[in-house]
Amino acid sequence: MDVESAAVESQAPKFALPVDSEHKATEFRLFSVAAPHMRAFHLSWISFFCCFVSSFAAPPLLPIIRDNLNLTATDIGNAGIASVTGAVFARLAMGTACDLFGPRLASASLILLTAPAVYFTSIASSSISFLLVRFFTGFSLATFVSTQFWMSSMFSAPVVGTANGVSGGWGNLGGGATQLIMPLVFALIVNIGAVEFTAWRIAFFIPALFQMLSAFAVLTLGQDLPDGNFKNLQKSGDKEKDKFSKVFYHGITNYRGWILALTYGYCFGVELTIDNIIAEYFYDRFNLKLHTAGIIAASSGLANLFARPGGGIISDAVAKRFGMRGRLWALWVVQTLGGLFCILLGRVDSLSASIVVLIVFSVFVQTACGLTFGVVPFVSRRSLGVISGMTGGGGNVGAVLTQLIFFKGSKYSKETGITLMGIMIICCTLPIMLIYFPQWGGMFCGPSQNISSEEDYYLSEWNSQEREKGLHQGSLKFAENCRAERGKVKGLNSDEAQSTNI
Amino acid sequence: MVSRLFVALLLLCLAAESCYGGVLFSSLPRTLEITASPQQGKVLRAGEDRITVSWGFNQSVQASDESYKRVKVSLCYAPVSQVDRGWRKTVDNLSKDKTCQFTIVERAYDASVRNHIYEWMIEKDVPEATYFVRVYAYNSAGEEVAFGQTTDVKKKSGLFEIRGISGRHLSLEIASICFSAFSVASLFGFFLIEKRKAKGFSKN
Repeated sequence: MDVESAAVESQAPKFALPVDSEHKATEFRLFSVAAPHMRAFHLSWISFFCCFVSSFAAPPLLPIIRDNLNLTATDIGNAGIASVTGAVFARLAMGTACDLFGPRLASASLILLTAPAVYFTSIASSSISFLLVRFFTGFSLATFVSTQFWMSSMFSAPVVGTANGVSGGWGNLGGGATQLIMPLVFALIVNIGAVEFTAWRIAFFIPALFQMLSAFAVLTLGQDLPDGNFKNLQKSGDKEKDKFSKVFYHGITNYRGWILALTYGYCFGVELTIDNIIAEYFYDRFNLKLHTAGIIAASSGLANLFARPGGGIISDAVAKRFGMRGRLWALWVVQTLGGLFCILLGRVDSLSASIVVLIVFSVFVQTACGLTFGVVPFVSRRSLGVISGMTGGGGNVGAVLTQLIFFKGSKYSKETGITLMGIMIICCTLPIMLIYFPQWGGMFCGPSQNISSEEDYYLSEWNSQEREKGLHQGSLKFAENCRAERGKVKGLNSDEAQSTNI
Repeated sequence: MVSRLFVALLLLCLAAESCYGGVLFSSLPRTLEITASPQQGKVLRAGEDRITVSWGFNQSVQASDESYKRVKVSLCYAPVSQVDRGWRKTVDNLSKDKTCQFTIVERAYDASVRNHIYEWMIEKDVPEATYFVRVYAYNSAGEEVAFGQTTDVKKKSGLFEIRGISGRHLSLEIASICFSAFSVASLFGFFLIEKRKAKGFSKN
């Protein structure tokens, strides 16, 4: 055992952060940009942030755009739905692309291919062209999956929740920041002398340029894995190229992925819905100025600065004591509370109460998002990308459904829609109770009585022929590294539990 | 003590809100006559065409214009342009009404002049819609006390269309297309570079 590890160490490159046997960082140092771990972190959250800014650049300017393009409430609702629909399948495709080509190429490709949609928003001339540009721009939200995949590849189990939470949260921040940025840029351009109906068009070049530049940064400065890029590792034989069909199969047949997809639809999906409707809601209901409505809408998305990372940190902290069962309980409690505050938001009548409830509700919902991705990295090792894609895609499905049912046209007033959305959150969070890991347990049941280990769970994704070829080595290492998800075993702490493994 | 103060403050705010509750449109007498230059069904272009409005007090009506201090002539949305657009809704309470969103002219009321005339260049931020013109008279407290409009009660006659500017420019279109093309081309450029690097790597 000692000789083996010494040999491994002499071959391994030196890393700035402490690493585990897969060379994933075991610490998360926010203010470092050391390659490859922290650099990957900063590249991924910044590029994801830019995509969010682009996807939700239209809502704060809708009071101007709806007059320029002669849009009806139905047109606006449809465009809002379209903006989150594209990413449903794009996220699943991105998950698979990450498994096969690596997060660096997958995300940069998507970002550069969707940048034209943002540029073309400047020349939209009708409700149909507006819908199309929002639809294609929305595809870029699939970079969420590559962000989570990249973090799960770079950071080890004890900190993966935190890494996922901070990168996801700071990316989602874009949805809030854009509500501030776009009205500001618009006002600046109007000040310079442009007519309103031209100024909003020019304003869209800002998010488009930033999106493009962030993709260039990812391509030139980023790296897929701690040991190198996919293509290089595959050519040198250090990483086996996996088969799409197998990766896909093992992902979609894992029922936990489907449950998380549904529940994520009712934390993240709700967050996206709010990004789309809240500025107009405050503008119209309380007769505010464009600028003011934008600030309030932004405060909801800006909670992502600490709420979602907080979710990731809470997930990791709870796991230290209670393991995976703690992660599941925390997720259920926080998301249900988010639903309760959503119901309240639709019921309050005054401006100041609405703002307070909006912020509290946003904090709970975004924390739930962070908690979800504290669970996702453990659902599958072979098909991590597909599971991340399914969950992420499910988030968008939730946004589509919610906007279709409650916020399209003039059927429900926005207040009623918000209350009903809250009820739906509570109902769709209940399935978390059904998630069960044989090696760790579920919300109500302990680990399986037949001695089931992490190896059994993760190696079940590889058949005997594949194991003979040694393709399962990565999963083996991962299984060893996530022993701590058992929580503090009675009489043993997690270190002792680690040494009692086979 | 603090909670009582808070409740009192809350009640005060609520009371203040109902004071500024707003005049009801249905309570206003139609004592002002107003005509606008566009005929029924005429199409005008924002930023290019002009509207000439002329308004005055209707002498034949049994009312006095003593309380009128200010007048405001506005461009208002016709019902067809309000369909499925809650932000243009007509509400009886004038403080919440959003029918008339563009001011043509606003000035002090001059009782000595029979017929006021004003020519207005349609501003570039006026959206594409069907409109009519309405004039409100205000008293010294700033409340509406009378009105007149170029259409009938059902808002079916005397409507005209304004075609808004598109806001697009040739330079914008060219910039969009160029940047988009660059974005896609640069991606393929990177792929080529990657492939060359990987080839070099495997040869070693």
